[in-house]
Amino acid sequence: MQKLTRSFNASSRDLLFATLLVTPALAVLVSLSIYPLLYSIQIALQTDGPAGPTWSFANFSRLAGDNFFLAAMAHTFIYSAFALTFEFVLGFALALILNSTIRGQRVFRAAFLIPMMIPPVVVGVVWRLMLNPNFGAVNGVLRQLGINTEQLTWTASPRLALAAVIAVDVWQWTPFVFLVLLAGLQAIPQEPYEAARVDGSNAWQTFRHVTLPLLKPAILIVLLLRTMDLLRVFDQIFILTEGGPGFATETVSLYIYRAAFRFSDFGYAAAMSFVLLIITNLISAIYIRLLQSREGVA
Amino acid sequence: MNGHVHTLLCPNNMNLTKPIVIIAVLLLLISGCRNNSKRQIRLAVNVGVEGEALKQAALDYEAQTGIHVNIAAFPYANLFEKEQLDFNARTGAYDLVMLDDPWFPRFAAKQFLADLTPLLQKRGQNQPDSDFVANSIALCRHPYQTGTLFALPYVGNSQLFFYRKDLFEKHKLPEPSKWDDVLSSAKKIQEAENAAGNKIYGYVMRAAQGNAAVADFMPIFWAFGGEMFDSNGRPTVNSREGVEALKFMLELGKVSPPGYASFNADEVGAHLLQGTAAMSINWPAWISPFDDPAKSKVIGKMAFTVLPGAQKPGQAEIGNWLIAIPKDSKNVDAAIDFLIWATSAEQMRLSAQRGNPPTRISIFKDAELISKYPAYPAQLHSLETSRPRPRTAQWNEIENAFGIFLSKANSGELTAEDAMNQANAEIDKIIQRQ
Repeated sequence: MQKLTRSFNASSRDLLFATLLVTPALAVLVSLSIYPLLYSIQIALQTDGPAGPTWSFANFSRLAGDNFFLAAMAHTFIYSAFALTFEFVLGFALALILNSTIRGQRVFRAAFLIPMMIPPVVVGVVWRLMLNPNFGAVNGVLRQLGINTEQLTWTASPRLALAAVIAVDVWQWTPFVFLVLLAGLQAIPQEPYEAARVDGSNAWQTFRHVTLPLLKPAILIVLLLRTMDLLRVFDQIFILTEGGPGFATETVSLYIYRAAFRFSDFGYAAAMSFVLLIITNLISAIYIRLLQSREGVA
Repeated sequence: MNGHVHTLLCPNNMNLTKPIVIIAVLLLLISGCRNNSKRQIRLAVNVGVEGEALKQAALDYEAQTGIHVNIAAFPYANLFEKEQLDFNARTGAYDLVMLDDPWFPRFAAKQFLADLTPLLQKRGQNQPDSDFVANSIALCRHPYQTGTLFALPYVGNSQLFFYRKDLFEKHKLPEPSKWDDVLSSAKKIQEAENAAGNKIYGYVMRAAQGNAAVADFMPIFWAFGGEMFDSNGRPTVNSREGVEALKFMLELGKVSPPGYASFNADEVGAHLLQGTAAMSINWPAWISPFDDPAKSKVIGKMAFTVLPGAQKPGQAEIGNWLIAIPKDSKNVDAAIDFLIWATSAEQMRLSAQRGNPPTRISIFKDAELISKYPAYPAQLHSLETSRPRPRTAQWNEIENAFGIFLSKANSGELTAEDAMNQANAEIDKIIQRQ
């Protein structure tokens, strides 16, 4: 009994000490994360009426009938799907090429990383100038090659604008995919490859049954990070087209910004943010489940 | 336990004098800032020529009165956000704010601004003096023109019609006074110059969604007899007149540089300065760059006049910068003194010399200033006949929706009818929501 009391005293003292240590971090978390989160839930569920704010789902039900929101959502998905596909395929191909020993490997590796180092706002400004139909470098080069650029108005064309902003994203973020996958490739030990060679497997079989399974964690992580980033893309598009022409490149993040800071409709902006958050979480959960099941599949 | 704490705080029995001195100095500094006996007011301004002139004035004011004017300068879009957030949170962070006139109805309707009349009366003025352009003072009242005075006008912008007088003379064309003449002259100039191997477009405009497209469309819309709202406040942009006006804008688009559907002020400015466009609607701030040899290939070749008409006389969109005192300011008296001083004739003359169009008639008519700014008579005429954007608290949302459909029509995504019908439906939704 005495022993029990003593150990209880000791553990309660430890507990107190632990609590003391955790308190500052907890205070920061509550004030900077939890309180704003709860507050944003509150404003998403409130609408201004003549008699002050009232609780309702009005902000959420308004989303279903908002053509601008639905179009922005569609643009966000198209943007994310195309950018992710191109970035992954190109980044993976580059990683495979530069993983083998070729001449000038180091120079290439360093050069490929440059776009990723540039802040997205600067990327937006640079590409906005390059894509200018009259004075821009892109059409300038095409004209030199004898191509008629009269119709190639890029960010001013409803047909080309979304493709143009996707291309800029691919230009900037393919290096990130390349970097992660290259690191993943270099972490694969040589033994499985030797075993495959002994078993007489060809290059495709080695890639399919050795490289891919061992690289799966890196692949899933890079897809997860890129998807999360793509779904909330804001800065380059804001600079490049500000969502235009018309509404052709407006994404959900841009529309949320507009609702909050231009129209002062914070409740509606918060409601849209939660929808985007839930979608991002669902997609992330799928990736994470795939990541966790790696033993089973390999 | 205490021993533990002590060793934690001062390992190796480190001397405590140093940290204590540092903390004491920091505390002194903080309290020094707090107890600053010097009076000061805080002012939020726009980055750019409008705010820059006010910054200069603030320095003069400090030298004259000893009152320190603390300036916070923000780019255009951020300025609105900062002011809006400050007003909502009622922090009273600013004693004076510069605001673009379309923001005014929202701020006034939400009762964020201080009523200036009692403050002026305390200083012996029953109302702002009659030297201010009537259209500019009308913007400072809520409701428009007749209501309470919540601001004073500082920068008197209104649109002007810019055209290349050398090209008009060369091709023997009259000064554009009707929109139909604008279109026919634009076609003639473009054809003749292109035939001679010069890449010149007849017209250039901003049709990027949002403010840009709407500002460049409104003078055409009004001249064709369009009205945004009927007497019950319901939108009427898809009226016959409205659709005709948009169709005309699309005709002008055919003599504008490709890609104009995404143009903002920068692109339009570049075309005019490079001499690759013959006509445009623009704002007075763009006049002086034409005489700058480092930027301009058209020195002495531009002329500025009032906006062309059609079924109705031409009217420019007014775009004044106002200065107001937030209701939650803790220095209302110091603020009104500065506001009266900064908008006085004497100060406005200096502001004009620094490049801001004035809001006082006497300054527009000042001979010395006219010799420096020859467009002043046209500017005054434009300002006195100008029209404001509809005075509604939801203007930001309405302009956004309207601009999206104007831009869609100009980029070829929608016909004029479809664009106006869809714009009307969206604007109606915005109005119904409140």
